[in-house]
Amino acid sequence: MEDPFDALVAAHHPEIRRYLLRLTARASEADDLAQETFLRAYRAYRSLPSGANTRAWLFAIATNLFRNHFRSERRRARMQAVVHVAAPARHGESAENEIAFQETRAVIDGVVAGLPVKQRMAFVLRKIHDLEYDAIGQSLHCSADSARAHVFQALRKIRRTLDLTATPRTETVP
Amino acid sequence: MTSAHATCRAIEPTLVAAATGDADREASRRVDKHIARCAACRADFARYRMIERAVGEIRDDDWQAHDDDREARAQLESRLADLRRRVLVYRIFPSPLGNILIARSDHGVVLVEYLGRGATLEASRLGRRQDVDMVEHGAERSADGTERSADGTERSADGAERSADGTEIAALHRELLDYLAGRRMRLGWPLDFRLARGDFDRRVLEATAAIPYGAVTSYARVASAIGQPTASRAVAQALRWNPIPVVVPCHRVVGSSGALVGYAGDKTDLKQRLLAIEGVRTRRTAHDYAIARDAMYARLEDEREYCVPSCPGLSSTSLARLTLYGTRETAEASGLTPCSTCRPDLHPLAV
Repeated sequence: MEDPFDALVAAHHPEIRRYLLRLTARASEADDLAQETFLRAYRAYRSLPSGANTRAWLFAIATNLFRNHFRSERRRARMQAVVHVAAPARHGESAENEIAFQETRAVIDGVVAGLPVKQRMAFVLRKIHDLEYDAIGQSLHCSADSARAHVFQALRKIRRTLDLTATPRTETVP
Repeated sequence: MTSAHATCRAIEPTLVAAATGDADREASRRVDKHIARCAACRADFARYRMIERAVGEIRDDDWQAHDDDREARAQLESRLADLRRRVLVYRIFPSPLGNILIARSDHGVVLVEYLGRGATLEASRLGRRQDVDMVEHGAERSADGTERSADGTERSADGAERSADGTEIAALHRELLDYLAGRRMRLGWPLDFRLARGDFDRRVLEATAAIPYGAVTSYARVASAIGQPTASRAVAQALRWNPIPVVVPCHRVVGSSGALVGYAGDKTDLKQRLLAIEGVRTRRTAHDYAIARDAMYARLEDEREYCVPSCPGLSSTSLARLTLYGTRETAEASGLTPCSTCRPDLHPLAV
């Protein structure tokens, strides 16, 4: 694979697509936005300073595209929750804990899908894609501290929702 | 926190960070101390740990290949291939010959254009073309609002190393300036003749690209070289539209009379300056410049020897049959040996 941009596509197209799949309601939208991300990147990547964080840069382009898309979509349709396939049961879990755990996953998916868009993007970038807070801040046009606060708010909403829905139990800290 | 105690409220963000792997050791220690005393926060902490674990699973599931990955990728590749065909990256920069635009595709340099005082794409012949997608080198980043500085966290496994192929526009710019200053004799750039108007033009450009540094030949000679000896006017037209001047050295092609005739429209003075850089002497005539052929070494057609201009019979030979060299070095660099009759090695031209 001698072309550097081909290498970029191979390395990052799957995760950019995952990211957009989580943000958008429809797979076709995510595919379009992921394609658009790389078409834009192709036009611009020669101008990147060497040593730039290309991964964070791609996420930033995807985030911008999604935000623009989201603004124009918002009036047309409410965002729907993204449906996730249930994870297979884990070994060594008590049935009770497993149920609580699956509840937690369902709550997370539900809460994340309903978050304000900035919190949602910050949460997904940090918790699913493991980006640094300063990179997230640049994607969202805010400071690293604001990005951190968005993630905190998202986590707190998930926890509060769990407090309301989950069955009381004792959870051992793994 | 569920009890809205001030201490609990204050430590809440740190507690969340500690429970979700986002806190440093010092902060974690503070949280540990707090939850040792506070049962409510201890429960919250445990719950955040579970959230973190569930998020980890969601993340792991995300990394499993989706069935439609391949299809999405194939669609992207097809659109990218189309874009690659259309995108030309360009940059406009000042030079001793006025502003110059250089544009390149993935395959090579497509266009070198004299803009004179023009400094924007509108001044370029590509400014009006619909079949190309012009991207200014260095401009796209801020337009996307996604500019970012190097942060040292680049993963080298990304494979996104750029600027390594030596054909980046900035490097081309430097090399061209070196060339115009006489510090470089070759521009070994990969070329993309996509702007050639047709197959004939392409053959003319390729034949012209083979004329060595410091040599001059005629339109008629190029016409002969491509096997169409009567097509010298068509050759001149093809070179008038040469999309890659300097690199495809159409300035080394002159009329059979020795007159420079024309260059990129009416820029004959540029032609004269480019020839001067290579050590080719010209003389001012009434309306033009002419090659000082009595001050140049000459080669008849495809002979392997070069001569002084006074070699018997040569001075009356039309330039249509000759290639001229400003110096013995340039002639010999082209693989020629001194003529055994006129011996330019023993009787070199006075400079």
